[in-house]
Amino acid sequence: MIKLLNEIMAVTNRIMIELIRMRRGLIFWVVFPTLMLLLFGLIYAGGSSTTKSFDATAPGILIGAAFFFSCLGGPVALIVAERERRTLRRLLVSPLKPVSYFFGIVMAYLVIAFGQTIIVYGIAFLFGGRFHGSLLLGLLIIVLSVFSFVGAGFYFGSRFTKRTEDVNGPVAAFGVPLLVLGGTFFPVSILPSYLLALAYLDPIFHMNQALKAVSALGKGMGDIAIHLIFLAAFTVFTLFLGARSYRSMLRQEKKG
Amino acid sequence: MIDVRGLEKSFGDKVVLDKLSFSIGHNDIYGLLGPNGAGKTTTINILCNLLDADAGTISIQGNPISETTKQLVGLVPQEISIYQDLTCKENLQFFARIYGLQGSKKADRINALINELKLNTYENVKVSNMSGGWRRRVNIAVALVHSPAILILDEPTAGLDIEARYELWELIRNFKHSGVSILLTTHQLEEAERLCSRIGILQKGCIIAEGPLDKLRTLVPAKQIAVIETADEQVLCDKARSFGWEHRRYGGRVTLLLPEKYTLKDVVNKFNGIPLSSISLQEVGLEHVYLEVTRNHSSDGIKLTPTGGDK
Repeated sequence: MIKLLNEIMAVTNRIMIELIRMRRGLIFWVVFPTLMLLLFGLIYAGGSSTTKSFDATAPGILIGAAFFFSCLGGPVALIVAERERRTLRRLLVSPLKPVSYFFGIVMAYLVIAFGQTIIVYGIAFLFGGRFHGSLLLGLLIIVLSVFSFVGAGFYFGSRFTKRTEDVNGPVAAFGVPLLVLGGTFFPVSILPSYLLALAYLDPIFHMNQALKAVSALGKGMGDIAIHLIFLAAFTVFTLFLGARSYRSMLRQEKKG
Repeated sequence: MIDVRGLEKSFGDKVVLDKLSFSIGHNDIYGLLGPNGAGKTTTINILCNLLDADAGTISIQGNPISETTKQLVGLVPQEISIYQDLTCKENLQFFARIYGLQGSKKADRINALINELKLNTYENVKVSNMSGGWRRRVNIAVALVHSPAILILDEPTAGLDIEARYELWELIRNFKHSGVSILLTTHQLEEAERLCSRIGILQKGCIIAEGPLDKLRTLVPAKQIAVIETADEQVLCDKARSFGWEHRRYGGRVTLLLPEKYTLKDVVNKFNGIPLSSISLQEVGLEHVYLEVTRNHSSDGIKLTPTGGDK
């Protein structure tokens, strides 16, 4: 167990150093959600008090504009880079276990996600927004969301991308429609009923709805149970899918 | 140290390794030579437990290949496979941790490697800011961080300039004294000649000739080699045959296998009347062994044919 933890920490530490060195990427992961939060917060305020609009906008922006690009796009880019730099092959020769590698990445992106949460809610706070519900419950939603995104990132990274140029394609093709359908940038109440029914299959919808309910409306566990159950199931599903695709990618790499 | 017996591997219908056997002793530098597709990379992948063999056995220090033998093997891939945004020291720290090194043991090992590979000036420099030669050194240091019993060097000097290559050769020679056994694959015969205590020539998945260089030299039926360029190749070859000298044509030049040692003047006089563009006398080297052995190899094994003439 200590060996496993040491391996996980080694991977996390390495990724964090790399992310910090690539300052530009980190800056964009902050700039994009910040601008989106300001824009949508001010648009929904409609010239009056920003308190309610920032309350309502912060959770969606955190999930859709912050986590989506860092925790989904990040692992995809990471896996592609490991392949291109041939470091993946070196890792295969080492005793590093795939599970350590995966959780090492999850840990690194959890750190990034917490940083983004502090920034997004910090800005919302300046405009009068508040986190009204249980912080622990909010934390649980954030952790499940990060796991889901990283698991999905593993799937896309190992399944659809071989080169750096391939990274944006699957993320944009599959991810952006899910963002829109998930009510990231506008309330799902404006969706027609058939799209709303479809939205229930979208994990981002459940992330958004759960976090909005807790953060903006102060709802409790019982009120968001359906979303939590879906998110937990989706987390397990993407972890399974990600692990399977990753194993298949490793088999290809082993063949050289 | 490493014992490979009867290794077989096929990909579909293509036989890549065909009852491959060799062994590498303690402190040996074993050179595995062969053309592309001869099976070198497949052999390395099996040794590193990346691929399963179809048949045969491998043991490293008496242990069959498994996840645990990963600790005994250090691989230096042909490509620079390290993290470019990390410094030399950070790369070493990362790989040391995933090989289970911790605390002072980790720090001591990293410092020792930095000293041994003379990386002191670059220990805190990002790999992306280093020249090719220094990156190669870090690439090697990473493979040594867990003190493996065997170091596999896959074409370690490919793409390096001559100066960096010589420096790396010196480094590899020094590893021999640190108790690690080395398997070296290379296309550069000079590299194998200078570094290896034993050499195996691989063709179509099996070793067709093996041994120390002195032993391998005896596979060439010559005491000396004359390499000649001339416009009248056929006339030259006919004359050489009349002396009982064998000849070959390699790379647009005629190679004569001289049964005795001659002076340059003696050889030139022998071909009096034939216009020679260039002539040089050489000792029998690995290049001649390699060409001779691969030329004469059939599926039955080594078949040296001292009858002369081109085939």
